Amino acid sequence: MSQSPSDQTHFLELRGIHKRFGGVHALQGVDMVIDPGEAYHLLGENGCGKSTVIKVMSGVHEPTEGEIILDGRSYSHISPIQALEAGIETVYQDLSLLPNLTVEENVALGQQLVSGKGRLMRGLDKRLLSETAAEAIRNVGLVPTRELMKSPTAELPLAIRQRVAIARAIAAKARLVIMDEPTTSLTRKEVDALIELVAKLRAQNVAVLFVTHKLEESYRIGGQVVVFRDGKCVAQGKIEDYSRADLSKLMTGREIEMLRYREGAPMEGEMISVRDASSGEAFFDVNFSVNKGEILGITGLSDSGRNELAMALTGHLGFSKGSIEIDGKKTRIPSPAAAIELGIGYVPEDRLSEGLFIQKSILENEITLIFDDLVNKFGMINARKGREEARRISELMTVNTKDIDLPVGALSGGNQQKVLIGRWLSIEPRILVLHGPTVGVDVGSKDSIYRAVQAMAERGISLIIVSDDLPELLQNCDRILVMNRGELVDELDANTADETQIYQSMLASRREAAE
Amino acid sequence: MTMVQDMPDTSIPTPHESPRPTIGALFRRRPELVSLAILIAICVIVASINPAFLQPSSLIDMGRASVVTGLFALGVFAILAAGGIDVSFPAIAALTMYSATLFVINVWPTAPMALVVVSTVVGGAALGALNGWMVHTLKVPSLIVTVGTQYLFRGILLAFIGTVWLMELPPQMIAFGKAPLLEFQSGNGVTVTLPMYFLVFPAAALLTWFMFNKTLMGRAIFATGGNADVAERLGYNQRIVHIFVFAFTGALAGMAGIIHVCANRMANPFDLMGIEIEVIAAVVLGGARITGGTGTVFGTITGVLLITVVNNSLVLVGIPSTWQRVVVGAFILLAAAFFVKRSHKS
Repeated sequence: MSQSPSDQTHFLELRGIHKRFGGVHALQGVDMVIDPGEAYHLLGENGCGKSTVIKVMSGVHEPTEGEIILDGRSYSHISPIQALEAGIETVYQDLSLLPNLTVEENVALGQQLVSGKGRLMRGLDKRLLSETAAEAIRNVGLVPTRELMKSPTAELPLAIRQRVAIARAIAAKARLVIMDEPTTSLTRKEVDALIELVAKLRAQNVAVLFVTHKLEESYRIGGQVVVFRDGKCVAQGKIEDYSRADLSKLMTGREIEMLRYREGAPMEGEMISVRDASSGEAFFDVNFSVNKGEILGITGLSDSGRNELAMALTGHLGFSKGSIEIDGKKTRIPSPAAAIELGIGYVPEDRLSEGLFIQKSILENEITLIFDDLVNKFGMINARKGREEARRISELMTVNTKDIDLPVGALSGGNQQKVLIGRWLSIEPRILVLHGPTVGVDVGSKDSIYRAVQAMAERGISLIIVSDDLPELLQNCDRILVMNRGELVDELDANTADETQIYQSMLASRREAAE
Repeated sequence: MTMVQDMPDTSIPTPHESPRPTIGALFRRRPELVSLAILIAICVIVASINPAFLQPSSLIDMGRASVVTGLFALGVFAILAAGGIDVSFPAIAALTMYSATLFVINVWPTAPMALVVVSTVVGGAALGALNGWMVHTLKVPSLIVTVGTQYLFRGILLAFIGTVWLMELPPQMIAFGKAPLLEFQSGNGVTVTLPMYFLVFPAAALLTWFMFNKTLMGRAIFATGGNADVAERLGYNQRIVHIFVFAFTGALAGMAGIIHVCANRMANPFDLMGIEIEVIAAVVLGGARITGGTGTVFGTITGVLLITVVNNSLVLVGIPSTWQRVVVGAFILLAAAFFVKRSHKS
């Protein structure tokens, strides 16, 4: 697949790019080369400058210093329109769809905007818009029904929105498609489809640049790997030439063992037991129990009911049937508040919209659960105690900043997740449900999150990790439950199971049903 | 060219698989229809209690009364669509209309009417552009900017231009206010006229509709209202969008101001104060969300008509005019409750 002889002209080249935001030196002399038809995997911990460099390529950020060579011509910076005109398309992690505009408009408006070099005082060619959009939508495997094309994107499920975002990128005769963590929220099947699409793009001589944390996918796709650390490009080369351990070391600057984190064992005594639990169409007759200090993994495809089970256990979704016992007492979990009352903590999948107060400080985010305890009899908050508690939590979770008054929004994804998990340390829950605890989190932060999880289990907390990151479950859990079409289909010992085994259970009955 | 043949699969739920055209779904999609239904209901009720409502004289009164609110509302709709808000348009209207009238009276009494209109429109656009430029450059919410400029424009008007009422308008302005489009002999022998300037409202509505639906600018305004950061990333020039949309509103405000003067045959520098809330209410009743990125011209017109009918017809059925505010307030809350429910469902 690698066909990048150095004598041909590069499509895009960055030379000595520096970018400063106020006092932050985000890019410190980056050199990179993009050739047509090649796949690139941009790796690095959060905050290493990955996002900044793709924004320089797509014209959103103006470099402070350096040279951008696009199609053989040199620029000190390029505008978003210039980048689009040259065929540099970006599928951002947030997809960057306009929520109030229709699918059709989201996909194909850009083409008319770019062909007019960004001028807005022009007629809108609705026919061209529909035709361009329909073709691109077909190319990403969706059927361009009128219903779909005229829907505002805000009304669509995430998987469809992602395809719409990709359709927009390829509608515009792209020559480089940049994808910022494209597979984070996709099911395995959708990831397969995406990888296939990437191969087709490359066959048409389109370069593809992935920003990613998922090494296994990068190995599957192949191509070049580019590793960033602290605003510098520390390695670039064929991905086959680097082992996982090499890449982790390059990214973090230290060795990270891919070993099992779980050393302890479950304690005596059942903490929670779920009997014949169902919730509407989402899952049926689920039976399991978790001991004190045990770590239970639950996995499955994204429509297997695993997400709903996590939500039902934490009071975000009702059970339609079944019984729950916590610490030997029969109980119900009618609301999130009731769950907290029972000592059930929940770290949601979508930390930005469901978990964190993004503009508030680390301090305030970490002590939200114990506000009541900090208030004295005059209704005043004991600020000193709160500060001590927040400091203790930040240390336990190794949140990577000394300044606990910093807004959480200023932190990297990994540190945000540590704050979110750390919040529960303030009340010592009996059960903690972690939903996708390391989605979008870099290798170094993963390590500290896993250590914190293990430490909680050692203290007797029962943990339930709902995740599709199989290495994560294998590294951390005692047992792994596999869900498929709303049912629990398998239970594996995490110490002896392997990924293939789990995949088979995840997909098995589905395949049988299809036959 | 089909790149990935095997991708249409069943694992991804196709949205709206079973289109159920329920009335609730229709209202959710086209919230302005709620206001339209209320409007029709009021008209039917009022007309059946007091048939005088349907007489040409009262209809024409309402038509006349809708012009100034309507022009303002089209402007506010454009700004809401772009995700902003503007409270300075009455001040822009007052400043341009009073300055233009004063200039015509004192400096150029024979100035052609067309030129007077153009000058207020251009003046309004310039003041609006200033709003837009500040919103863009200062990166301050437009509410703050326009609260500021509203004081500024009013202050300039009263401090530097004049505070006296101009009661003696030049003849071409009076003629503009009087030129009839339709004339009726009402029951009691009084002639009622629908003035020519009434046409400005539908014309401006058509222009606004064209701009939003047939030009790239219209989509760019909605894109900005949907998510300004994303729109910028996608190459929609935010500076141009902001300046354009505020200038557009300013131009409509300038137009509304001069019509207001000619219709009332006097220019009062203290006039049009506080009208902004009513105009914003009309636009929101027309289905535009205060958070931006939605709305239609049709809805805006519906909202304007609803407010106008409530303001002008309740007296006909014996509801005292002091109650108009109660009714308008109730409608706004009703609409708000409905729209909130709508956003929770989606």
